[in-house]
Amino acid sequence: MSFITAYCHIGEDICTVNGAVFLQKKQDVTDSWFKQLYKELAIEYPKFYKMDMLAQAGFIGSELIKKVSPDLSTRYQDDEIALLFANQQSSADADIRFQDSYLEKKSPSPSLFVYTLPNIVLGEIAIRNKWFGENMFAVFPKFAPEFIIQYGSILLKTGSKAVLAGWLGVLDGKVEVSLFLIGEKGDDGIPFNKENLIKCADLRDQA
Amino acid sequence: MTYIGAEEIISPLGQNIQENFKSVCENRSGISLVTEAGFNKEDIYLAKIIADAGIFKFEFLLIKILQNLSAQIDPSCISSDKTIVIISSTKGDLDRNIADPFEPSLSAIVQKFKLANQPIVVSNACISGVLAINAANNYIESGFYEHAIVIGCDVISDFVLFGFQSLFAVSAEPCAPFDKNRNGISLGEGCSAVVLSKTKEIFKNAPLALLSGTSANDANHISGPSRTGEGLYRTVKKTLEQNDISADSIDFISAHGTATVFNDEMEAIAFDRLGMSTVPLNSLKGYFGHTLGAAGVIETAISMQMMRNDLLVKSLGYSEPGTSNSLNITTENQSSEINTILKTASGFGGCNASLVLRKL
Repeated sequence: MSFITAYCHIGEDICTVNGAVFLQKKQDVTDSWFKQLYKELAIEYPKFYKMDMLAQAGFIGSELIKKVSPDLSTRYQDDEIALLFANQQSSADADIRFQDSYLEKKSPSPSLFVYTLPNIVLGEIAIRNKWFGENMFAVFPKFAPEFIIQYGSILLKTGSKAVLAGWLGVLDGKVEVSLFLIGEKGDDGIPFNKENLIKCADLRDQA
Repeated sequence: MTYIGAEEIISPLGQNIQENFKSVCENRSGISLVTEAGFNKEDIYLAKIIADAGIFKFEFLLIKILQNLSAQIDPSCISSDKTIVIISSTKGDLDRNIADPFEPSLSAIVQKFKLANQPIVVSNACISGVLAINAANNYIESGFYEHAIVIGCDVISDFVLFGFQSLFAVSAEPCAPFDKNRNGISLGEGCSAVVLSKTKEIFKNAPLALLSGTSANDANHISGPSRTGEGLYRTVKKTLEQNDISADSIDFISAHGTATVFNDEMEAIAFDRLGMSTVPLNSLKGYFGHTLGAAGVIETAISMQMMRNDLLVKSLGYSEPGTSNSLNITTENQSSEINTILKTASGFGGCNASLVLRKL
């Protein structure tokens, strides 16, 4: 049996970790919502500022999960944590910006182009943590808990010891992000099933 | 082990698998000079499908390939609730709806072919095709489905071409994988499919065997290949180990070989570390260009044809060694018994994947 051992949610103006409020969005500051979360995490990782919204969302989510799972990197070997992410919009947020760079600004931007693939966020998380494990990014018309349940359990059966899974809804300033850490038997947590996943995801518009 | 068969391809080299494999056997390339295609209206070498595909080329190709497939398998499998359809694509139909590049085309095939399950889109850069085939295999081996149809498809767009131009990654000549003078990719477009099943009888022609594959991240750079080939090394090692196969039982490697300076160098380093630098190897990018999300499926389909015909296919565009670790690149078509092929792929985001095909 596998368990959801940690989870977090980033909505439009509130961020929770394991169901407890981590931060409320401040309206009277110039920092973006993700930048507020980055500062609240109190980590030094300047690459964060280069990332697109999708990568920032996954990066912050993974750091929040690590915060409540401090033994994550020591407990598993560097290739035992699989990354399993999905969303509805692929990399549309970055795609629209890149398209704008050649249609409007008449200068295709290489620094925007490199983010026009949804799996770049997996690369950013892998680089940050030196994780060499399995990777998968998939796209669905709406939140797909069955996919996370089925493919998450497949990954745990085929060599991965933990799965960092997530739904990364980021487009046009709208944010609906949920991440889950899934572990195998022996871990404590909530049983890894569809009902619990939907509950933890807390995706108001989706589930 | 899962059965894999019914391979199909639509590309500039043909409308079906027979036409495509015939072109490849004749060492013909689908790459040609397309006038004023570039951002500054420069002429660019592309592997572009010229035949009229209507307004929505991506959707057209998905429909056409499923029609091709239905003649190669028990057609009732396509709409069966025991079948999952997995699409591998980086950009889908971006020009139709940039904010939702897959859904319109997916809805069209779900309706037209009465698919019982919501298709899964794997969008994982240039490993999408190999990863989608591995995922399909995992779904079948874990008992979630009995059959899987994997379709790889990407079409050329200004978006992708201008992007690769902005990275100075587009070759001024038709791409030359692993060659000393390689200087970038030639973009291609195409659609390819394979069918996986627990059941041999659904295939009109005898299938081959697919062994379970793996993926691994380089954890190094989002757009630059690892200098040590770490992720590619790890995925191949894992794939071989979990199937209990030694490096010397691989008869052929269908490599990724994009023809950028750093990618091909990275692959040569990884294969050297794996003790596989003497295994015959090719890149098929010289025939099809780099078809991104379709590449892994197209190259698996051609690998299957190579096995069926016991023919090593020349690595088109290669003439002089150009990597610091040597490779055994196939420079002429050559008849040779091929029982086991290793297929690899690497992509942006530091991702790498591999799978193994075997004769039954």
